Amino acid sequence: MSQSVVPVIEIPEPIRNTVQKRFAKELVGKVRLVFFSQEMECQFCAQTRELMQQVAGWSDKITLEVRDFVRNKDEAKALGIDKIPALAVLGEKGSRIRFFGVPSGYEFQTLTDAIVFVSSGKTQMPAAAVAELNRVATKPIHIQVLVLPTCPVCPVVASLAVQLALTNENVTTHVVEIAEFPQLATRYHVVGIPRVVINETTQFEGLVPLAEFLRHIQRAVQGSPTGVSATI
Amino acid sequence: MVENMTQKQQMYDIAIIGAGVTGLAAAMYAGRMKLKTVLIGFPPGGTIATTDWIENYPGFISLSGKELADKITAHAMEYDIELVSDTVTEVTRQKNCFVVLTAFSRYPAKTVLFATGTRHRKLPVPGAETFEGKGVQFCGLCDGPLFQDKTVAVVGGGDSAAKEALILAQFAKKVYVLVRGDQLTGEPVNNERVARNAKIVVVPNTGVTRIDGDTSVRKVVLGAPYRGSKELILDAVFVAIGSVPMAELATKLGAARNEKGEILINRRSETNIPGLYAAGDVTDTEFKQAITGVAEGVSAVYHAYQYVTGEFVCTCIDLDYLDCPVASQDLRRAPS
Repeated sequence: MSQSVVPVIEIPEPIRNTVQKRFAKELVGKVRLVFFSQEMECQFCAQTRELMQQVAGWSDKITLEVRDFVRNKDEAKALGIDKIPALAVLGEKGSRIRFFGVPSGYEFQTLTDAIVFVSSGKTQMPAAAVAELNRVATKPIHIQVLVLPTCPVCPVVASLAVQLALTNENVTTHVVEIAEFPQLATRYHVVGIPRVVINETTQFEGLVPLAEFLRHIQRAVQGSPTGVSATI
Repeated sequence: MVENMTQKQQMYDIAIIGAGVTGLAAAMYAGRMKLKTVLIGFPPGGTIATTDWIENYPGFISLSGKELADKITAHAMEYDIELVSDTVTEVTRQKNCFVVLTAFSRYPAKTVLFATGTRHRKLPVPGAETFEGKGVQFCGLCDGPLFQDKTVAVVGGGDSAAKEALILAQFAKKVYVLVRGDQLTGEPVNNERVARNAKIVVVPNTGVTRIDGDTSVRKVVLGAPYRGSKELILDAVFVAIGSVPMAELATKLGAARNEKGEILINRRSETNIPGLYAAGDVTDTEFKQAITGVAEGVSAVYHAYQYVTGEFVCTCIDLDYLDCPVASQDLRRAPS
């Protein structure tokens, strides 16, 4: 893997200390961060790799595995990786949680949430919400959460989507840093974030509570396309 | 399948509704006072989490709204309180008890504190609803980077409008601030920053009467001409025309409100209903700041503590669906 000169994202010490303490307290099982880049690293690949190296150093329960998007295309395909930089957060039984783009800024919180959820096997979803998700998610659900690192409310929605993917085997969650993938911003006409796209048919924007998120999933499963509804 | 947290039905001394700084600070005090506390709110951090910087909270010269909310959350979580990220759908009163209902659970409580804050006031003009999320936006900090080198407008004349314009000017090539009055009425320090920013143009004595576009916003029609035209070509409109108190659930309980819809409280943060308190932006306090909301929340908890410990409050007699370990204790306190 080539080593290009890029500004390294240094996590500020107070945040690093907080996350390290959280990892020490809440990580249970091993977590594999499988990171995809390529020989000629993409614009943000090196930054993302550097960041993941830092995170992997904060707990002996976290390991970083770097893959080449081209040479390891079969593994990339199996993990649903179709663009880079990409990160799969995998527990002992895998997971259906992927990050595309640098999970920096406010989005770093979603990454740390995902690591903790995957490692502990626990989410913050109430039992009634789990039951409702299992009732509505009767076929594959692909959730894309489009975010920006400057967005303080994005991690709230992204974290909900991560928990949904951990809770039901039909749900896959991709958290996408939209500035790095402008083609997706164009494709989904994104002018506000967080934008959530479910199965390419259902979209919503802004902060929504879990109950409303589940209603959007139900619409997607039922094949009822919706335009963008904004809430913040 | 992963495990999930289960919710045990039990009686809380206080249910705090709203996870902004007011509710969080109240929860921290309630935890210190050993009140059995649940804080229910969504989103975590509340409105202030979408504020770029806070420069008037004592002890912090400058920090982001999210940082302030995170710090108070961490402080609150040092104590034995329950934090629930959910939206409250209903609050009922049974005898002297309250029951707080959310989408997925219910929380019986002896007292309730409304720290529900406000929601953005929407622009009441044609096109505003049609283009919401398609160029009619409410969070410059969230969406500003999507308008790099674009032209945008902020509608509003207060401090929120000034701060929104300053955030957007970091990304957009031009930011119009459409002010109904003859000048901005925000904090002088922010008005000065706006005046110094070459990208920001304040257009006084006008408003938006219509928003037009195709797949997204393309122009607005002004109430008064600007440079000879009533049409302003732009890519987005950020609305900052004030807020609406989220007091509907308190009103259903019978809480008195003023003409603005704000919950009336006294200096003890009490409403007109025994055991029901309110604090922060949802109340009739004139000068709404993070620091004043926090103070009201703390005052509410102190008086809720007196109420819970000093008086007969409520029992679980009529709430027989509950596993209520404090019922017998409450009954002993009941007047004969």
